[in-house]
Parts: sequence; structure tokens; C-alpha cells
Amino acid sequence: MKKLLLLIITASILTACNKLAENPTSYITTTQYFKTQSDATAGVTAIYSELISDGTEQPLYGREINFLADMTTDDLAAGPSAINPNVRALSSITYTATDDRLQVIWRQNYTGISRANAAIDAIPTIQFDTTLRSRLVRESKFLRALFYFNLVRFYGDVPLVLHNPADASNLSSLNVNRTPAATVYAQIIADLTDAENLPSSYSGADIGRATGGAAKSLLVKVYLTQQNWTATVSKALEVINGPYGYALFPNYADVFNPATKNGVEHIFSAQISSNGGLGNSSTLMGANFAGFVGNVPADIPADSSVYKQFSNTDTRKAVTFYTSLINPATGLVYNFPTFYFGKYVDRSELATPGQSNINFPILRYADVLLMYAEALNEAQGPIAAAYAALNQVRVRANTGNLTPGLSQAAFRDSLYAERRREFVQEAQRWFDLVRTKQLVQAVSKVASKTNVSTKNYLFAIPASEISINPDLTQNPGYTN
Amino acid sequence: MEIYIHTKRFLSGIIGVLLFLAIPGTVFGQTEVPIINSRIDGIVTDSTTRQPITGVVLRIKGVTHEVVTGSDGRFSFVTGQKLPYTLVVSFIGYKTKEVYATGSPVNIQLSDKVSQLNDVVIVGYGTQKRSDITGAISTVPKSNLSQVSSSVDNLLRGAAPGVQVTQSSGQPGASASVRIRGGNSITGGNEPLYVIDGFPVYNDNTTISSSAGTGGAVNALSTINPSDIESIEVLKDASATAIYGSRGANGVIIITTKKGKRGTNDVAFQTYYGLQKISKEVPLLDATQWAELRNDILASSNQAPSFTSAQIAAFGKGTNWQDAAFRTAPVENDELTFSGGDEKSRYNISSNYFNQEGILLNTDFKRYSLRFNYDRDISKNFHVGINATTSYSTSQGAASNIASNSLNSPNIITNILTTPPVLPVKDANGNYVLNTYSTTPSNPIQDLLSIVNQTKVNRSLGNLFAEYTLAPGLKAKVSLGADLINSKSNFYAPSYTGDGYSTLGYATVGAASSNSWLDENTLTYSKTINNDHELNILAGYTTQYLSNESLTAGSKDFVSNLTSYNSLQSGSQILTPTSNAYSWALDSYLARINYSYLHKYNFTVSGRADGSSRFGAGNKWGYFPSAGFSWNAGEEDFIKSAPVVSNLKLRLSAGETGNQEIGEYQSLALFSPFNYDFNNTQVVGLAQTQLANADLKWEKTAQYDGGFDLGLLDNKINFVFDAYYKKTTNLLLAVPVPLSSGYSLSLQNIGSVENKGIEIGINTENINSDGFVWKTALVYSENRNKVLSLGNNETSFFPTIPGTTLGVLQPEIIKVGLPLGTFWGYKTVGIFQNAAQIAEYPTLNSKANTKPGDVRYQDTNNDGVITTADKTNLGSVQPKFTGSLTNTFTYKGFDLVVFLQGSYGGKIYNALRQQLEITNLSQNAWGDVANRWTPTNPSNTIPRASNNPVAQMSSQFVEDASYLRLKNLVLGYTFTNAVLTKIHAKQIRLYVSAQNLVTWTKYTGYDPEVSSFEQNNTAQGIDYGAYPNYKTYLLGLNVTF
Repeated sequence: MKKLLLLIITASILTACNKLAENPTSYITTTQYFKTQSDATAGVTAIYSELISDGTEQPLYGREINFLADMTTDDLAAGPSAINPNVRALSSITYTATDDRLQVIWRQNYTGISRANAAIDAIPTIQFDTTLRSRLVRESKFLRALFYFNLVRFYGDVPLVLHNPADASNLSSLNVNRTPAATVYAQIIADLTDAENLPSSYSGADIGRATGGAAKSLLVKVYLTQQNWTATVSKALEVINGPYGYALFPNYADVFNPATKNGVEHIFSAQISSNGGLGNSSTLMGANFAGFVGNVPADIPADSSVYKQFSNTDTRKAVTFYTSLINPATGLVYNFPTFYFGKYVDRSELATPGQSNINFPILRYADVLLMYAEALNEAQGPIAAAYAALNQVRVRANTGNLTPGLSQAAFRDSLYAERRREFVQEAQRWFDLVRTKQLVQAVSKVASKTNVSTKNYLFAIPASEISINPDLTQNPGYTN
Repeated sequence: MEIYIHTKRFLSGIIGVLLFLAIPGTVFGQTEVPIINSRIDGIVTDSTTRQPITGVVLRIKGVTHEVVTGSDGRFSFVTGQKLPYTLVVSFIGYKTKEVYATGSPVNIQLSDKVSQLNDVVIVGYGTQKRSDITGAISTVPKSNLSQVSSSVDNLLRGAAPGVQVTQSSGQPGASASVRIRGGNSITGGNEPLYVIDGFPVYNDNTTISSSAGTGGAVNALSTINPSDIESIEVLKDASATAIYGSRGANGVIIITTKKGKRGTNDVAFQTYYGLQKISKEVPLLDATQWAELRNDILASSNQAPSFTSAQIAAFGKGTNWQDAAFRTAPVENDELTFSGGDEKSRYNISSNYFNQEGILLNTDFKRYSLRFNYDRDISKNFHVGINATTSYSTSQGAASNIASNSLNSPNIITNILTTPPVLPVKDANGNYVLNTYSTTPSNPIQDLLSIVNQTKVNRSLGNLFAEYTLAPGLKAKVSLGADLINSKSNFYAPSYTGDGYSTLGYATVGAASSNSWLDENTLTYSKTINNDHELNILAGYTTQYLSNESLTAGSKDFVSNLTSYNSLQSGSQILTPTSNAYSWALDSYLARINYSYLHKYNFTVSGRADGSSRFGAGNKWGYFPSAGFSWNAGEEDFIKSAPVVSNLKLRLSAGETGNQEIGEYQSLALFSPFNYDFNNTQVVGLAQTQLANADLKWEKTAQYDGGFDLGLLDNKINFVFDAYYKKTTNLLLAVPVPLSSGYSLSLQNIGSVENKGIEIGINTENINSDGFVWKTALVYSENRNKVLSLGNNETSFFPTIPGTTLGVLQPEIIKVGLPLGTFWGYKTVGIFQNAAQIAEYPTLNSKANTKPGDVRYQDTNNDGVITTADKTNLGSVQPKFTGSLTNTFTYKGFDLVVFLQGSYGGKIYNALRQQLEITNLSQNAWGDVANRWTPTNPSNTIPRASNNPVAQMSSQFVEDASYLRLKNLVLGYTFTNAVLTKIHAKQIRLYVSAQNLVTWTKYTGYDPEVSSFEQNNTAQGIDYGAYPNYKTYLLGLNVTF
């Protein structure tokens, strides 16, 4: 009898042993991934996703990048409702290496790079349609170049990581030191040169992906930043004369019109859509929408110079700013005491604050024209072709042709001023001021930004990054 | 396959039990014919009340035969033993008495025991004599169990030294966070393990929620009827908890439910009805004051005033939105219990209906539950039983605002408080007046009444066991248990509410099911050698498995609000549906040896090997040993001869326990969706979010405990003292890694936290004469918590706090050298009174943007500017000590319990007040804003009126959370025999009670015992519009037939 009992107990124990290996059913793990064509496509989609979404912070394009590229310039300032002291420190140019926005933007670009690295390394090992396979790799390279281009301009020498760590078993192996900017630029140019072979356009469900024209346009910007005028001009001509069909919208407002998304002028944009799309809570709206209760938005003009630079006939003024809004739910008109930024205020979505259908333009044709004009002027002086390119932009804005016969320096000044008017809040201003060495002189004119100095030509390496890897050096003028 | 394995396992278990059941009928069915040699009759009564006691066990010394007194206290013993013999008379709560019986009748009086020395105490996987225990184990007093509560965790408050309970809010069915000897873990769970009739349950509220609703979580423990509980033991030190291995580090709470008493058949009806009222309202501006404030705000930005002085005068007090939203709410509980038993079996069948309406309109918690406890001796060697409960509960909770739909206000409480008092609740036609000062016009009362935010939970928890005595002293026990939870959540915000306004109606539904299976096999062997050596050995194998699946679906933009959440297809826009699944398994081997020499020197050695699915492939198994020693010095002659000391016991223990509450799949390289819109259509992308870490292993807590139990004056005074030191290492911490790797965090076993403290429990019997008894119990606990290391060169980090505003404010820090829950921010010095001061002292904003009336912060590093580097330690949520004092008086049929409970020295961050002190044009403000700085009113605490000034985490909003509370006051009367006989009842008790009658505190918010983020370790002590606490007045009746 006892034997039987013991037998039962033994049987109970033996049959009851639970398996300890984990097999998650609601997640996918590395060992299961990057095996099929759809894995490859989804892996690349996730790189794009980093442009416009972030799990815990506001997205890179449409918010975070504007903190560095606009908030620290003479265009934007933090309004009284900007709750983050780090944002206000950027606005007043008193930021330090511990500023959390520096860390967020660093992270977002590197997250994008990491996803691109995974795709670039894994996709060639998967067997499927070779045309699609090389397209996906080239899209990944375009995006990797875009992220590195942001990093190298913001921070100077940055760790160049091209392959991802396998696991976290050795944390110190994750430490990578700063790579000279020239090497980073070489990698950017190599990636973009391959990406030039991307299709010149897409149709249907692929609209919004990086094109060969986008790669060439980004190369134009890279060469311009390197002050390689010849390469800038020749690459810009490839964009202008290439098979892409780029042109300016006749109406400037269409650049920010959800109905004309991905139109003739848009070379590459961060894709944003609301109503269950990813424009939900992207907080573009939250930052730029004053609400109907008399609150002041988080981002306000740095001073009156931003809106005073526009003539009243300039069609860009009414797009760039608003002074009144209609609540579509109630039909009531709200008037505001001053100018607030309006490019990303989706008038059709005002009743659902936090949502927007407006794409964020990363590269558009007006930019290519102005870069072409600038490089021509630098290389050959204000020749007719430079005038023609600049005047296309001016005429579209209803501001007429530029006075003919200007000196090279005067043409340069006019072109810089045109860029400022054209690209308010498009994450161009800081890059332009740094590229043209005007940062201190321009920004110090704003009463609340007199702290600007030459050290601000680069941002600080995030202090948190240095505390993990003490071998990382800090940029001049910043302490950890 | 998975299902097949579990089905097979369960079936084999069932078959095993069935076989057990079948055996005695065939083999052990013969009974011996008893020889009768003597018969005695008698009665057992209480020595003070002279009332008969039911259920007293009488045993002839040295023999197993025992009888139990009936409902009238009478017994009769028919036995083969010859008179005279010694009867051992024992009953829980009374001193065990030996009576030398020579013949009938025997009248025995039992006296209450102040000392529980000879009690049997329930420990992990068994019981032990209290005198032989080496660990730190507290028994929750009966008076605590009689409190009114929807769940058992709230009964533990002030119940035992070393146990700290903080309720998260006053919402019916809300959870409490329980810390035994402080929190060990930073990112892992810190709640203790609950063992309910042998079934281990980690009280993780997320297991019952699909996250479809909003607001506070439903407390998983509220699904169990607290009145079914017979006793609660709290296991605190390693000697006691190491037998629970990887789940022992946070302490273990053993809950035993009521069993029937032998020799009785009782029908008991228990009921109470009570009324609850908000403890206090917070001060807000009235209509006149608010209108003046709004004009001042407009003036601060050079805008025209919105109200004329005539309008302001006409406003008067305006609407008190708190009065409109809060109510006096009933709470009701009814129970019917059938219990009893005979020599061979015991049963307890109970049913319960509990209905608590919330003090906030349209909030409630209801529970319907059934319990079936039964056990039987099938033969003298074979014992089987079941303890099972099933319940259905529903709750309607206060909603949080859906983040993306709301511009500022985090939840319904803040909605109520921020609504301007100039608006009436309803207009002349009886329609709700919408708040036109808000971007999303709504009415908080209408929102409260019309938003559906309910959770329905079905739970069945049961454990079936069979125990067989294989040989004298050797018992084998198999037990099989299941904990099955199914829940459904419903949320609907109609288009006219704040939450539904922008989405034109917003509905979500969710369902979750969580199934846990337990198989436990133990062998125990007890042996007494020469009456000197007592040996008790336990060995066992147990395995537990849990699988959880959940889903949510939703849509928005409804044509009609009539279908509520029941017709998602009527919404014109579909919300992204979600589904999720996880499972974990735990395989364990356990063993314990207790050895006692002369009941003076007691040794316990225990150990457990746990294999958990949650850890890295290379570290699945963990080993958790402990050792304890106790010396009953009171039994030594040199102390026995001391006249004052009646008992003295010294205890020492050491051991290691673990924590596995880190969630699932943390060691794997996981991919998550990251989507993008191509051509306005969302496309799913996937990216790796977590680096694999195959080395992930247990958090280990080494604990050392030393203590003594001291009884004085014949145990009229009893002290229990413990001092402990706990060091938790290998903390599972998400440590920052270089962001250039593409990852931010990696879960590693890095870092350590210590807790040390002392605990004192004092029980005294102050008076016991002429039927008047006065007893006092004091509980005192002191715990010091400190982060020792965070690894990887880290000295501090700011944990993520949910919510946009609080997330940016970063109110709490985790920093080496400081306790968990430390608040971090600026120190306020006062208010800038004039331009000269602004010029003289450092300012937060630029000097140009600083005006007289703005807050002045301290330049703690004296660098002449105010930057985030000036933020400093503002105190921590950890109290310096907590305690309680219970006085119990009985006289004749009356009993009076006065239970005071308190906490001293902790801090709380009043984010609610901060939110309401941010003056802006759309919301009402905290009352003290009326005393704001103006040139003519040079306040040094409240800044000037300005439009939406930026919130700063500062000392101004970190308040003293100390409190002393008259937690429970009970006056009861138990009717005399004469009355009882008339209506054939065995017992009638009538009582009135009041809970939370008075709270003494300096805290300016609703209640200092609050935690808006519930069980979240790294966001403790934040009051961000938590559901307010309330007072309860009750009338109750217990009748037993």
C-alpha cells in the first residue's frame, strides 16, 4: 500500500515538472527574426519610425530636433508654458552637458542608426527578390547617413558604430570612443552614394520612402556643409535636372497642407498622420497650439525680428504664423495678442489637440535651389544661374526678383536672409548659422540669448554618456 | 503541446487524489470496536466572562483520543482509559490547561492567554509550536481582522511590527502597498508573497487588468472575502521566509481561512451597514476670489480684466464643486456561514455580499463570494480536504484622463477641483453647464455620472490536499491548487464628457485571464526521543505555473452615445487593438529541519532551490539557505527562580532569500513594433528593444535577525523585540548603457540596497478583575532604507514618473547613500519682494524675466546662478517610525476597542496642490492663492498671479506626511445567556464602529496616506489627485444559531 502511495507521489512529481525555458508568445526574439522578406521590410520600417515616434519622449522630427536647430537660434524661444527647464536652458543658451534634450536627441539618432545597422547587416543574408533587397539596404543607408549627419553637425566627432552588439553580457564592450568627424563624413558620403541608386519615385503604398533624389539632395547638403562648392553644384544639378520632376508648389501654403503631402516640392519628409496614425500625440500640436483658453504655446518667436523680416505681401508670413484661430467644434474665433508659429498647426484637427496630419519636411526643393544658388555664388559669384534659382523661391513667395547686380557678399547676405524666411521652424536655422559662421553674431541680438558664445558651435556631448564611458572626451567649453 | 502537458499534469493529480480517496474504502475500511472503561461529562467556560466556550479540544494526556465541546460548552468523554487521568484542555486564544479528572462532572475554566507561548503557529509548509520557533513571525491580532475592509492587505496596517501598509487611495476596492521590513528592490516587485491556505499568490494587480479602463487598479486581493480569514501570520526574517526561496525576500503573509469546529453545527449570520463621508475637503478659491485672481493674471500680461468689480461682487461663494462631487455613501456586508464538524470532518461554507459605494459619485465596489472549506479523516492515517473560494466582483472607478485627449488635468479629482467656481453645476433648465474656460468644454459632475469605467473580476482560488501517515511521525502530503482569474474591463466616455469630447465618444473594452496551477508534494517526519530531543523534518517538491492572456479593443467617434462600450463597431474610427500573453513557471525543492532540545535550545535549518523561467538561460536555478537558533532562557532554572520574569527567549537567524518579481522575458532579446505611415497608411515595423542577457539571475537578500521575547509578571507584560539587517545584492537594475549602442538600458544584476531596523511589540494586561479586563498592545517599527550602489559608475538616476508634467519635473531620485523614494528639487527661500532683491540674489529665470512676487530658490552650490545643479535632497517618503496602539476593554458583555495608528517622519509630494497653485486662466486654484503676493500683500510663500508659470519641483510642495489616526473604534455588546436561550441562539453580538474618525496631521491635502502611483516602487508618496480617504460609521450584528 505504502509503495503504491509513494509511486503516486513520485508520479505526481515527475509529471508536474514545469519547463523553465521561456518561449514568449507575444514577442519576437532575435533568434526568430530577420529570416524573411517581410522581416526585412518591417526592420526598415522601424528605422523610419524613429523619425517620428519615441516611446517616452517627443519625436525627433517635429519636436526634438527643433529644440537644438531652432530653439537655440534667433527664431524660437521657450514660451512661459514650456515646463522643461532643460528646454528653457537651450532657449537661453545656458544649457550644460547634463541638459536632457542633448541626451534625447543623441539617443534618438543612435537608435535610428542601430536599427539601420541591423537591417544593413542582416538583410543581405536573407534570400528574396534582389531588387527589393538592395532597395531596402539602400533605404537603410540613407537613413543611417541622415542620422549621422545630424550627429556630426550637432556634436562634432561622434562614436561611429556600424554593427550592433550581440548581447549585454559584456557591458564595457558597448563603449565606443569618438571618431573624427572626417571619418564620419566619409561614411555618410559612402552610404549616400550607394543610396543614390534608390528608385527616383514610388507609387501607392511605398510613397514616402527615401528616393535616389533624396539621397542626392542630402549629399548636396553634406557637400555644402563641407564647403565643397563644386561637388555641391554638380550634385544639385543632378537633382534639378534628374528624373525626379521636382518643382516648387505655386502656393507656399501647400508645403504644409495635408492634402498636398509628398507633392512635387517634397523630396523627403517625416510622414505624419492623425486619427489612429502616428500624428497622434506627436505633440507638434501641443507645442504650437495655444488652445482656446488664452494660454501661451510652448514655442514662441524669439523676438519680433522673426516676424518683422516678412513683408506683408510675403505669402509665407500667414503660413509661418497665426494670430487667430477658429475652433472647428464651436465655430468661435479666438484672437491672440501676438504672433505664434503656425506651420504645423493642423486647422482641421484643432478639436483634437495633440494630433496633426502635417508632414515635417526634411528635404524640399526650395532648399536644393537655395543651396545650389549659394554654392554657385561662393564658387563663381552671383551669376545668372544663382539669381535664377534664388528668384524662383522669391517669386513663389510673392516677394519679387532680387535686386540685380549685387556683389558676391550682398548676394550672400540676401540668400542667407531668404533661407531664414523660407525655413522658420524647419530645423534649418542653427545648421545655417553654424555653417555660415554667423551663430554668435545673429543669436546674440536676441535679448534673452546674449549668453551665446563660440563654444555653442557644437553642443555638449551628453554628460550621461561620458559618465558611462569616461574615455569619451567633452567638447571645448563644456564641463561634465 | 503546452495545454496538453498541463492537462496531463492536472489529470494525473486528480487521478492521484482519486486513488487516495479510493484506498481507505477498500483497505482501511475496518474499524476497531472500542472498549469503554470510563465516561465523564463537563463544561468549559471562560474564566472572566463565565460564558461557555465552543470548540474546546479535550485530550487525555499521552493518548490521541480527543473530544470537542459543543455550542453550550459541554462535552462528554467516553473512553477506554480508566479514571483518573489528566485532561489537556486547549483552545485558540486561551491558555492550555491540564486538569486531573477523577470523575464527572468536570467544570473547567479557561483563561485568556496574554502569552501565546504554547500556541501553534502556522509557518511555511507546516506548523510549529511558538516556543520552538527561531524566526521572526508575528500573528495579526484578532481585533485587526474585525475591521471593515474590502481586502486583507488593508487589515495589516499597524497589525504587526515591521509591516508598513500604505493605501493608495480611498477608492472602493483600491490597493495598498505593503512593505515588510522596507523595500528591497528598485525595479522589481516589493510586495510580500501571500500564501492563502497554502497557495502562493503575488499580489500583482496587473494580472487582473487588461488596461482597458483608466484610473486606479483593482486590488487583486479584494476578490477574497476578508471575513473568511481565521488567522494571518507575517513571516519576516530569513529563518521563516527562506522556505519560500526566490519569493521570500519581501516577507511572506500566510493567510488561513476559517475551518469548522468539531462537535458543532453553527449557522452564523453577520451583517453590517455603514455610512462613509469624506474626511476633509481641501481649500479652494471661491467664486469671488477666483474672479479676482483671473483679473490679476490678465493684468500680469497687460491684458484687460475679464470681470468688472460689480460682477465679482455678484459671484459670492459660487459653486463648491467638492460638495457637488462627494456624497455620503453606504457600505454594506452580509454573510451567512454554515460551519461545524464532527470527530472526523470539519466544514465551513460561507457566502458573502459586500457592497461599498464610493464617496465620489458613481464609484463603487461589489463582491459576491462563496467559500467551501472541508476536511475529513478518512481513516486515522488518511486526511483529505479542500479550501476553495470563488467570487465575482465589479467596480466602477474614478477615471483618469486619457493622456492624448486632455491638455492638463490628470484625473477626475483634478477636473473637479480645477473647475472654476463661478460656473453653476446646472443651468435653470436642469442641463449641465459646460466649463467654457477649458479647451475641452465639459462638466466634471456630468463626466463622473456618465463615464463608464468598470472592471468585473471572476476569481476561483482553491487548494485540494490529501495527507497520509506512512509510519508513526511520517506524513506525506500532496496538494493541488488553482487560481483562476478572468476579468473584463469596460470604458466609455460619451462625446459630451471631457474624455470623449475631442474623440466624439471613446470606448475601450478589455479582457484578461490569468491561470495559475500549483502542485505541492511534501513529506514531514517528526520524532521525539526520550522527551528531550524533538526533531521535525520537512522535504518537498513544488511547482507552480501561471499563464496570462489579455486583449483590448476600442473605437471612437460614435454617432450615438446610447450603445456605450457595447458596440465598438458603431465607432467610426478604430483604435489599435492589443493582445498580450505571458507565462512563467517555478520548480522548487524545499527542506527544513527543526530540532529542539528540552524545548530550550531550538535550531532551524531550511533551504529551497528554485528554478524560475524568468531568468537567463545560464542562471535558472537559485539556492536559498537559512539557519535560526532560539534559546528559551525562561526555562532555565536561574531565570525560573526570578520572580518577575515569566518568559525569556532569545532568537538569532540568518539566511538568504530572493526576489523574482521582475516580469517575464527580461533576459531575452525582444522585438517590439515601431510603426510608420507610408502614403497615410500605417505600416508595422519591428525593431529590437532589449539586449539579451543570458546571465540574468536572482536578486538576493541576506538577512540577519536578532531578537528576544520577554514575559513579565506571569506574562501579564510581553515584549517582543527584533533588530535586523538586510542587504539586497545583485539588484535587477536597468542600468544605463552607452546610447551609441542603440539601447538605453540593460537589465543587469548590479547594485545593492540595505534595510535595517528595529521592531518592538508590547502586549500588556493592565487590569483583570471583577470581570473588567483592559489590555494594551503597542506596535513600533523603525526601518532605515539606503541605496548602497547602482553599478556601472552610476551614482544616481531619475526614475520615470508617469504623466507628462510629473515626468518632466522628476520629483524623485534614486541616489547612492539615500533611501528609495527621496524627493529631489529646489529649496525655496521665499518670494522676491522687490527689484533690489532680484538684482542681489540668483534667479531661476533670467533677471529680465523675473519680477517681484516670483519664487526665490536657494543657490545650494553658491555658484551665483540657479541651475538644476542646485536641486537637492528634499526628504524621503520613508517614515522614521510607524506604530499603533490598541486598547481593548471588556466588561461583562461589553467590549471596546480603541485602535490608534500612525506614521512619523515621512514626506509626501503634494503634486495636487502644486497643480492648483499654477495660476492660469482656465482652472481654479488652491485656497492659499487668495493670499498671493501683491505689492500691498508682501507674502513670502505664495507667488504673484501670472499666466501659467512653470512648475518647479521644490521644497514648497514636499510636506510632512506624519499622522496619527484613530483608525478604528468599536463598541460591542454580546448578549447574555438568558436572551440567547429565548431565541435559541448561541451568540448575538451587536456593535457600532467608526473608522478613520480622527486624523491628526499637518498634511494639507486630502490624506497623508496616499500613493497615486500605487505599487510603483520608484514613484511612491506622490499625491496627484488620488481618490480621497473617508470616515466610516458602522452598525453591525452577528448572530450564531
